[in-house]
Amino acid sequence: MADTAVKRDLQLRGRRWWLEVGWRHVVAIVTIAACILPLLYVLSASLNPGGTLTGSNQLFRTIDLENYRDLWGRGYGSWFVNSLVVSTVTAVGTVLMGGAAAYAFSRFRFQGRRSSLTGLLIVQIFPQMLAFVAIFLLLLSIGDVFPVLGLNSRFGLIAVYLGGALGVNTFLMYGFFNTVPRELDEAAKIDGATHAQIFWTIILRLVAPILAVVGLLSFIGTFGEFIVAKVVLQRPEEFTLAVGLYFWAADERTARWGLFAAGAVLAAIPVILLFLFLQKYIVAGLTAGSVKG
Amino acid sequence: MTDQQTVAPPAPPEEPGTRSPRRSRGDGSHARNFSAGFLAKLVLVALVDALGVYGILTALAVESWGIVAFLALALVVVNWVYFSRRAVPGKYLVPGLLFLLVYQLFVMAYTGYVAFTNYGDGHNSTKSDAIESIAIQTETRVEGSPTLPVTVVRSGDELGFAIVQDGEVEVGTADEPFAPVDGASVDGDRATAVPGWEVLGFAGIAEDQEAITALRVPLSDDSADGSVRTQDGSTGYVYQPTLVYDPETDTFTDTATGETYTPSDSGNFVSEDGDRLTPGWRVGVGFDNFTRVFNDPRLTGPFLQITAWTFVFAALSVATTFALGLFLAIVFNDPRVRGRKVYRSLLILPYAFPGFLSALVWKGMLNPKFGYINEVLLGGADIPWLTDPWLAKVSILMVNLWLGFPYMFLVCTGALQSIPEDTIEAARIDGAGRMRILRSMTLPLLMISVAPLLISSFAFNFNNFTLIYMLTGGGPNFVGTPVVVGHTDILITMVYSVAFESGTKQYGLASALSILIFVVVGLIAWLGFRRTRTLEEI
Amino acid sequence: MRRSIPLTAAALGITLALAACSGSADPADTETSAGTDATASGTLTMWVDDTRINEMEPVVAAFTEETGVEVELVQKASGDIGKDFVAQVPTGEGPDIIVSAHDGLGEWVNNGVVAPIELGDKAADFSDSAIAGVTYDGKIYGTPISIENIALVRNNALLTETTATTFDELVAQAKGTGTPFSVLIQQGEASDPYHLYPLQTSFGAPVFEQSADGSYTDTLALGGPAGEAFAAYLAKLGTDKVLDLAIDGDKAKQAFLDGQAPYMITGPWNTSAFAEAGMDISVLPVPSAGGQPAQPFVGVQGVFISAKSENPVLANELVVNYLSTEAAQDMLFEEGGRMPANAASAAKVEDPILKGFNDAGSTGAPMPAIPAMSTVWAFWGATEAQIISGQAEPAGAWNTMVTNIQDAVDKV
Repeated sequence: MADTAVKRDLQLRGRRWWLEVGWRHVVAIVTIAACILPLLYVLSASLNPGGTLTGSNQLFRTIDLENYRDLWGRGYGSWFVNSLVVSTVTAVGTVLMGGAAAYAFSRFRFQGRRSSLTGLLIVQIFPQMLAFVAIFLLLLSIGDVFPVLGLNSRFGLIAVYLGGALGVNTFLMYGFFNTVPRELDEAAKIDGATHAQIFWTIILRLVAPILAVVGLLSFIGTFGEFIVAKVVLQRPEEFTLAVGLYFWAADERTARWGLFAAGAVLAAIPVILLFLFLQKYIVAGLTAGSVKG
Repeated sequence: MTDQQTVAPPAPPEEPGTRSPRRSRGDGSHARNFSAGFLAKLVLVALVDALGVYGILTALAVESWGIVAFLALALVVVNWVYFSRRAVPGKYLVPGLLFLLVYQLFVMAYTGYVAFTNYGDGHNSTKSDAIESIAIQTETRVEGSPTLPVTVVRSGDELGFAIVQDGEVEVGTADEPFAPVDGASVDGDRATAVPGWEVLGFAGIAEDQEAITALRVPLSDDSADGSVRTQDGSTGYVYQPTLVYDPETDTFTDTATGETYTPSDSGNFVSEDGDRLTPGWRVGVGFDNFTRVFNDPRLTGPFLQITAWTFVFAALSVATTFALGLFLAIVFNDPRVRGRKVYRSLLILPYAFPGFLSALVWKGMLNPKFGYINEVLLGGADIPWLTDPWLAKVSILMVNLWLGFPYMFLVCTGALQSIPEDTIEAARIDGAGRMRILRSMTLPLLMISVAPLLISSFAFNFNNFTLIYMLTGGGPNFVGTPVVVGHTDILITMVYSVAFESGTKQYGLASALSILIFVVVGLIAWLGFRRTRTLEEI
Repeated sequence: MRRSIPLTAAALGITLALAACSGSADPADTETSAGTDATASGTLTMWVDDTRINEMEPVVAAFTEETGVEVELVQKASGDIGKDFVAQVPTGEGPDIIVSAHDGLGEWVNNGVVAPIELGDKAADFSDSAIAGVTYDGKIYGTPISIENIALVRNNALLTETTATTFDELVAQAKGTGTPFSVLIQQGEASDPYHLYPLQTSFGAPVFEQSADGSYTDTLALGGPAGEAFAAYLAKLGTDKVLDLAIDGDKAKQAFLDGQAPYMITGPWNTSAFAEAGMDISVLPVPSAGGQPAQPFVGVQGVFISAKSENPVLANELVVNYLSTEAAQDMLFEEGGRMPANAASAAKVEDPILKGFNDAGSTGAPMPAIPAMSTVWAFWGATEAQIISGQAEPAGAWNTMVTNIQDAVDKV
């Protein structure tokens, strides 16, 4: 059905094409230009070894890859790997735990369901002003018992991030789960499928778009997080990208903006690639799935 | 799939013998996949139990009673949930809830606890730490006293110092003042061997560091002469305490004036005429931090103005980012747009860069004289983007739109997929216009999953400290107010100014203020969330 | 409950395995040598900021070789060291030693997280302002390792000689070059009291009174007629466009790099970028604006010991007996290129730029480390910004500021 629609629309010409499709390209180009403009400063700074971030509007006066070469001698490579590992594990954990919770909220009626949902939302609002002291104290005590979940451990950091797995993302999934017709589970249940089978083999496949979105949001959020990470991780070899980059810009007077900018430019690449890759799941659509189900 | 199935009995089939009759009721979840699913569960729960039991044992060893209690409770809950028939939803909720409980609720509980204490600069630790600190800070070197090369000596468990006085070796301990010993050998001004005492080398000193630095050897029987101590194990100086702590009466006494300092309710040693010794220690102060909010005249001044702006800022931030995000999501949700995959990926660029970096770049671009916006885009205009009270507010909203729309765009793109295309198609065939479809079909369906996100986005922006702090720092500042706040300050940045920047860091006050803010936003969120109930299906 | 049998068995098995693993780690700790040889075993933890960790590494490596004491360097962001030190020392988990700017010292003392040290005769090896920086309430708390301050930097390609004896003459001379800017002093929306301080002191309005031994009291000294005169001068510089809030740190640096101004008041952290860009620069003292000497703040980098260090002797050995020496400070200078605090090391520095900064700072006073100082910054910058931009009447705004600061200081 989609194929024929595309074929038909390809035949649009002239005014009609502009009205239906063409203006969307204009919107895209204008918005993307607005997105990219400030980032050109970052790109320009990354190509200028001794320069400033916003000191001049003459961008790209010098093009020198020195900053990019410099990155690797300063542990950037291992930070990159750390960030990828931490963010991936956190994203997968968030999708699984959040998805499971959303399933429970969407498909079961139990006492305290409504108040737990509200509770989840309220917890997210709590100001994290003292988080840096509290998390430190917490991991200090946990580390006495489970050193691997304590300070200076990437697992410890992942565990802290998973503490936020049931958050606002759960609602996004919950709402999406609610749009999956219950008749599908009922039918499967009549077939003798257990709730676990329904969850793992039917529901999860149907809600793939939102799982991809939540996974991406969680990945990006973790990838850029440095406030908690710099409390937990203290050794440069354990740093995530965000922590390492933060250090380069932390001292205003000696901030190495060129290096920082180069690091930020490279760090944006996996995020964009991941989104490019996940899009096929995001826009695969529910209808395609439900027809098969 | 359902067609192949013959009518299935509503009750699960008979147990394969291993299961007790009591368990045969219920959902029958393990009846068929006992081998695979159940075994996986068994192994996983066994692993968790093992870790839990190991954790309890270790926690017992290090006497972390909180962890023992938590683990024991968690183990009971996990085992009950996963082996009970009644707790099916629990099986899906427990993993996430456990993490939430440990990491999020702890932060909340800790903040709540701190709000009732005077934790902050000057009240940073326990009373015993404070006593120790006061003692070491007030011990002063006797003026004009010599530098003494000290040799640390030991006899059994007793430590002592050996010094050379007028070419003669003298040894003293904590109880015995320095007294000459015979037969000791000297190298230069330092004793190298003392009969009856073992001379400690650097390695020996390193093993008993705290005892050695704590050792005070009286110079003579008269305590007014002071005592010798060393910090590096090789050089000693004569010290005299100016304040002496008496554990019996729990007071400090000034050795020169005889004034006594007694512990006060606010966590300081205080003299009769009100002199406080620092550091103090952390004590509970009840609701003081909360009542201060209402009594502090510095807070009441611009408070209303800032509160109003906070609400406007948060609401408009959500509205603008959501509108743009939704618009773009709909625009590119059309399969006829070629290259939309690349468009979409480029649209999330602002989200893929560190937020504080973007805020700094924007700050530079909005510079009134040299910024890109004025100098290049507007051809040398002189618009005070960040220094005019109204324009600064506009600028903040614009930058927040730039930073925040990709999130809404992603969320809406995902949520749009739940709207069946054929329903929309049917409406279109029925002659419904584009706006009408959007208003009466797309939006309501979208709101089911997105409404809670809007609430939480409101709450996030209500406390969006980083943006304000990095972009304007709250400025332009009000002129002459007794606390430095400005036209773009929101409540949370005002809390920061009051609790941290104006003087010392007062975590207790900051916690209390942020809890009050939380109560306000929480209430709004709760009310908003109750409204979404009507949007929900079922 | 038959099902629980395999479960319990599995749980027990894994528990035992875990216990075995953890058990095997213990003996390493109990293994100690009771020798009396010259080298000791032990590990010191030291927090260093990102910009200093590289120069500190070889120095502590030499210390380890000499004494056998390992030093673990932990990299912290410079803005976090003081804050985390205060938060973590009470937990017993903090470092033994930190390397940090001295201006947090008052806060650490008031929180009881830093231990006094006894430099003894070694104190004479340092300049007065270096020692004053690490002194609080009459006691020395750290070993100074380097000092830095701002000065007047001249672009020799635009001007080769400076004869000005007053700041007004300097501005006039600079304007003669026809460049877009005359004397760059970085500002920002909240102004920059630190970079304006030499001008302020030249009016005789230092921020706090200093007692005879150089330590600060919390009596404000920036008010009165001297303060009002300075405020009026700020307003004049604002109308003359010498000072412009739009010129932030980034802009000032870039403008000077681009040859758009003959002079800039800045610190050594920027001159390396100027040198890298191939500029020929000289460093001079800031001429007086109000008749009295223009004194910049002197920042002292010091090494401080935690009050709860479990290795007080080793820490003192490193901080008091090792890092204070000429040899160690020579090495730090070679690696990091910052002006050493040790006078003998400093005398050997031949770099004209660093010497220029040092000469300009010789009249300076250390940045106050008293907690009241943190109160001052926000009011100070906000008021200066309002005066420079013409938003507020100079003398009135300055006096309101003094009153507000006094109120806030009294609350501390």
